Amino acid sequence: MERFFITKENLKILSASLKKDCDEFIAPRYEHLDDVIFGDARADERELLDYEGNSLISPRAFLLPQTEELFEIKSAKNCDFVQIEDKKKRIFYGIRPCDIKALTLMAKFFLDQPRPAREVRGEFVDEFYQQKLERSTFIALACGKRCLAKSFCHLMDAGPLAREGFDLQLIPITRGYLVEVGSKKGSQIIKQNKKLFVKASAQDEKEIKALLKNFAERVKKIDFKKLAKIMQEDKVSQEVWEDIGQRCVVCSGCITLCPTCSCFSIIDRLNGDKGVRLRYCDGCPYAGFTRMAAGNTPFPLHKDHIRRFFEHKLNIDLERYGTPSCVGCGRCIQTCPGNISIRKFIDTVIQSRYEQRILTKKSSN
Amino acid sequence: MILLSSHAMNNAYLPKRAVIEKLIEESPDTKTFVLRLKDKADGRLKYKPGQFLMLSLAGFGEAPFTFASSPRSDGRFEVSVRGVGSLTTALHQLKEKNIVGVRGPYGNCFPLDKIRNKDILFVAGGCGIAPLRSLIQYVFKKRNDYGKIEIIYGCRTPKDRFYKQELEVWRKTPNTDVYLTVDEPDEKWGGACGVVCVLFPKIKLNPKTAFVFLCGPGAMLKFAIRDILKLGFKEKNIYASLERYMKCGIGKCGHCYVKGKYVCLDGPNFSYSQMKELGIES
Repeated sequence: MERFFITKENLKILSASLKKDCDEFIAPRYEHLDDVIFGDARADERELLDYEGNSLISPRAFLLPQTEELFEIKSAKNCDFVQIEDKKKRIFYGIRPCDIKALTLMAKFFLDQPRPAREVRGEFVDEFYQQKLERSTFIALACGKRCLAKSFCHLMDAGPLAREGFDLQLIPITRGYLVEVGSKKGSQIIKQNKKLFVKASAQDEKEIKALLKNFAERVKKIDFKKLAKIMQEDKVSQEVWEDIGQRCVVCSGCITLCPTCSCFSIIDRLNGDKGVRLRYCDGCPYAGFTRMAAGNTPFPLHKDHIRRFFEHKLNIDLERYGTPSCVGCGRCIQTCPGNISIRKFIDTVIQSRYEQRILTKKSSN
Repeated sequence: MILLSSHAMNNAYLPKRAVIEKLIEESPDTKTFVLRLKDKADGRLKYKPGQFLMLSLAGFGEAPFTFASSPRSDGRFEVSVRGVGSLTTALHQLKEKNIVGVRGPYGNCFPLDKIRNKDILFVAGGCGIAPLRSLIQYVFKKRNDYGKIEIIYGCRTPKDRFYKQELEVWRKTPNTDVYLTVDEPDEKWGGACGVVCVLFPKIKLNPKTAFVFLCGPGAMLKFAIRDILKLGFKEKNIYASLERYMKCGIGKCGHCYVKGKYVCLDGPNFSYSQMKELGIES
């Protein structure tokens, strides 16, 4: 991988030049006092070139928006529909490694699906996701310090450094940033702004070496296969699921913030004979997610919903992508009013402690 | 956002237009829509028995329906719709020559290669006869390529029975038996009463080699499969067409997801062995 160095001053110049070259410059900004949220910083220049922690909402919101128009309904009566295309060029700046991993998994999901043997069926590409992705550039920002208190990317093979999925990755050191090039789009940016990138000094090199060593030491992968096997064999105690089911208040915070949640529903909005068909984010915690017209609901209980959520992220996607699709960003844990923690779940299931914990709690009562 | 009238983008969610060529009242709450693609550029809708399509009415949304007819050379296809929800109720208000949106076909088909020269048992409950009809018609086109066929069909009342004339045609075909039952008989009803399982003692097929295709409400499937297994039919030869809530039909929206499979991509037709792996009993 090609490496460059950029000073903090030059990064400012680079971001100013990149802004001119896109329709949306999506970067972290302070909102509501000190919440970090991604937003278009082209107009107001409030972008943070460096920040602590991660944004409250994952950058998924720009590729799979809360609501997205699928096509225009010119005449409902005649079923006359017109395509809608999104040709905006977006540059994402300051995406954390965990979210970068999430974006690569989402791209795999929406663009191609490496899946086992199938009978008669086609491949389906979601062009809405594809068109946005193709016109997007991702500049990752590795985590210098500890992220959100609840994050655990170092356990989920997702941080504190991204390995792939970015166009450029910035790794912060005292004097500036080490820049890694991850794609053609990335090297294009370097080429166009050649003057801004300089050689790292001996002191910088020393710092970089120490930092990368520190990053490597922080990574502690858990045994994903063991975890998946326990879930596959249905060996997670029923009490665990009952406990989780009781804690869920169906606020849907987890699925709204999760960078790898992709479920949606489709609905029509009509005004007279004209309107739009749009999709909006939906998710498994909702009681009606699997309900059918005649009233039958295959998964009616909260505990089944969260189980579906956990199994999808930790078991099924491991089989499909070779890595779990929980990237350890910690957003779902931070937001959950019932204190459901996927990390605690993983820890205790792997160490077969959950059952014991509940039992001890009961006996002490 | 830029609006384009050309078809530059291959939008998987954009329906094609279909004309209602004929409407058939099957029962008090069900109509069969005979459809054909309207725009010449779209050609014929090519599908296989057991696959489904997304039928939509702008303003009311979209829902999955299994083809109720076997593929035909004239490009017509049939869908039987029971008026239970907002979309299906709105569909029932439509008249002949009206236009609906369709996209598909989606999903897998019935295992057509495996059933050649084999005996086949069809078990349908209520509107579950519709998906099976696509296969029954397909089989009856080349009736001599298949062994003995038995059709067991149960519904709530005699009035709720679909495809009444066709059932008689099938019944009169050699080497074919049709058994009917209803939950609530009226005074004219002379046939069997009760759930489909009451007709199972009439089955004369060899359970070791025969194939079974089921479709119906969850509770019916559960008990019918249990009793069929008791008769000695093989798990891998029992297929059910499953119903799930789905919004996209192309494995993206997540509604029909069960343990790593999507009913819309990997189904809707599953063998009982597969259903067990997925933890689906009905």
